[in-house]
Amino acid sequence: MSSIIGYYTTQFGELWDKSLFDLAREAISGVLQDCELEKNQIDAVFYGNMMAGVLENNLHGGAKIAQLLGTHVPIFRVESACASGGMAFHLAHNYILAGKAETVLVLGAEKMTDYPPEVVVQALAAAASGEEQEAGLTFAGLYALIANYYFSKYNVTEEDLAHVSVKNHFHGSLNEKAQFKNIITVQQVLKSSYVASPLKVLDSSPISDGACAVVITSNKQLLANAKNKVEILASEVATDALSLKDRAYFDRLEATSIAAKKAFEISKVKIEDINVAEVHDCFSIAEVLALEDIGFCKKGTGAKFVAGGKVTLGESSSFVVNTSGGLKAAGHPVGATGVKQIGEIFLQLTGRAQKRQVKNAHTGLAHNVGGSGGTVVVTILSNKN
Amino acid sequence: MISPVKVWRRQKYIREHLGRVGTIVSWTNISVAGSYTKEFAPYPVVLVSFKKGDNMYGQLVDFKKSDLVIGKKVISILRKVRKPTDDSVIAYGIKFKPTS
Repeated sequence: MSSIIGYYTTQFGELWDKSLFDLAREAISGVLQDCELEKNQIDAVFYGNMMAGVLENNLHGGAKIAQLLGTHVPIFRVESACASGGMAFHLAHNYILAGKAETVLVLGAEKMTDYPPEVVVQALAAAASGEEQEAGLTFAGLYALIANYYFSKYNVTEEDLAHVSVKNHFHGSLNEKAQFKNIITVQQVLKSSYVASPLKVLDSSPISDGACAVVITSNKQLLANAKNKVEILASEVATDALSLKDRAYFDRLEATSIAAKKAFEISKVKIEDINVAEVHDCFSIAEVLALEDIGFCKKGTGAKFVAGGKVTLGESSSFVVNTSGGLKAAGHPVGATGVKQIGEIFLQLTGRAQKRQVKNAHTGLAHNVGGSGGTVVVTILSNKN
Repeated sequence: MISPVKVWRRQKYIREHLGRVGTIVSWTNISVAGSYTKEFAPYPVVLVSFKKGDNMYGQLVDFKKSDLVIGKKVISILRKVRKPTDDSVIAYGIKFKPTS
């Protein structure tokens, strides 16, 4: 058994005065303070980062983190596109289960805003297939292909989809670390410019800087003394073809369904037991797919499920989605996102989510997607033990 | 940077897929593009399904606005897909145009 005992996130946003490793340093220092550990109590580090090599010619980050920590422990950089953070957490959890360590720090960090948008868009496209890149497809373009197919099949509209961003901006307005704290309306979403039709600027997560860290441990003494702890019931990974065109479905991410099914089986948690979830809303259509593919609602009904207020703080008493503001409002520093999602669930289950706290939350789920669905990590956490 | 060798290697695949007729199953119009294709934006990209059961992507060219719909028949053709590399190698690839 291993549990999360600490979490810290930097501000997300356009942080021009901070480098990638300034952010990493802040996250490491913050999480150690949160769980009252010293650097020398960390047995290993798993570091999720996607873009430093592509954007900054900056690799071998593990050794840089060793320099920050003043340590010689094993440090592993993990890259799975936008699921890099979730995958780092998954590997850290399994490293502990395998008996290789007792206490592990999981860091996710990304620096994206030093570069023009087209450079970042091109760098993100490195996680798409060669054929997708040759066709000029961006990730917004890939999710737009999914959205248009989905709209046609289920008679869903751009207006239906807009409610996802409206909800996530409302939640972001309650999160002091969010990149966007402004409340938006459906009309504002619909009037925003197209990025890749039918997806618009306000259907899309932003380019962001940020870093987050959690500490997980199986050490009995640390667990007994921990001020805050949340048990990791399951962390499961599933994959699919890199190219959207080579998948069995265009209206779902099958890797989500597979990872979620495995996570529910292993955790012995029923879907109705989940009080709070952070799902991967890189684009509004992605949250709709996630809700359906995990099993929170039926295929084709996800947008109306969100629009009806069933997953909005203050409107739903039993289940809320993306209290952090999601990727849309909290921001999407890609390597950090998966760690932030897990950290947000940790805050909810330890009663420390402040204005966005879901009352009596006891079981939560985090869902992190790499690319257009080639990698998915689903994590289930509980405070019951 | 795209290596000229990579462009050359890709040509062997491309020639096997020219002249194929398929159906648009989804499409998008890209307004915010990456640095390789920024100067061509906005441009439409279609996801095309073939009777054999396989699918391909490509930009739609030589089309009317009314052609950019799910269900439209298109044929794969050879077109330039990127601006020339620093080595002056011109990359060709697959695009689609309507059959009628």
